[in-house]
Amino acid sequence: MSREGKIFFGETVEAAIAAGLTALRLPREAVEIEVLDEGSRGILGIGARMARVRLTPLVPAGAMGAPTPTPTLIPEAPESSAAEVARTILTDLLQRLGFSAEIRVRSAEPATDEEEAPLVLDVQTPGADTLIGPRGETLAALQHILRLLVNRRMGRMVNLVVDVQGYKGRREQNLRRLAERMASQAVRSGRTVYLEPMPPYERRIIHLALRDHPDVTTQSVGEGSRRRVTIIPRVGKE
Amino acid sequence: MSAMKDLVEYIAKALADKPQQVQVSEIEGEAALVLELRVAPEDMGRIIGKDGRTANAIRTLVRVLAAKQGKRVTLEIV
Repeated sequence: MSREGKIFFGETVEAAIAAGLTALRLPREAVEIEVLDEGSRGILGIGARMARVRLTPLVPAGAMGAPTPTPTLIPEAPESSAAEVARTILTDLLQRLGFSAEIRVRSAEPATDEEEAPLVLDVQTPGADTLIGPRGETLAALQHILRLLVNRRMGRMVNLVVDVQGYKGRREQNLRRLAERMASQAVRSGRTVYLEPMPPYERRIIHLALRDHPDVTTQSVGEGSRRRVTIIPRVGKE
Repeated sequence: MSAMKDLVEYIAKALADKPQQVQVSEIEGEAALVLELRVAPEDMGRIIGKDGRTANAIRTLVRVLAAKQGKRVTLEIV
């Protein structure tokens, strides 16, 4: 490693520095940080530039000719894999929320139309119901924040899902059954069926469940948290 | 430091471009607690998020702690 330092990129200056520290396996105190370009988010993504920093190790690795691992290495190093970063940040968040939890990380079944299989972090905890919250609200908030923090730390988009004791899988099955039942009702009555308002992720499950249904179509109506799926019988099928 | 303040600070600092400018203060009212989060002006958008989604997610998480303590808490971002 030369005294000149190395240049790293990131969505933001912090992300670039984090990426550099991870790559160099050095703590922040052990490098000189020079911001070459603060980057720009641009306007509506137009003209966005990556941030650019140069990190120069203060003590060149391998100085004195001794290739010993330097004591400046952080013990629980800035993990390089998205799974480990996500697990660490989720543990931090849960601890601050007052939950003692065990987290299992796995890759989801790769969906055919998606490039990267999402990382699933399943939380096992005594306070599961509280962590899920009404209509899964708390879980959704936790997932949103975790995604932001992980993306920021990694300097790239990481597709991840937070679940609590398999709640989402069970909820998905229930929603699919509900979709089938309500579709039958729509066909029998010849009338549009209005489902309860649901978050986007759950509406998507309903739409997908009935996508290939021969006798109904689906559409979301309403705004914001009042948005709900309607199941409409196809005309001429009564 | 209170648990709520610690949580908000952890999230805001991790999100901010200028973490050193993140400040959280607690203002105790009669029935409710107000958490006041201050960030650098250029970090505002990031903390609030599209359609206020990130701010609302932080509020939802703060409510978990508030419920445990039987308190009403509002989070203001200034």
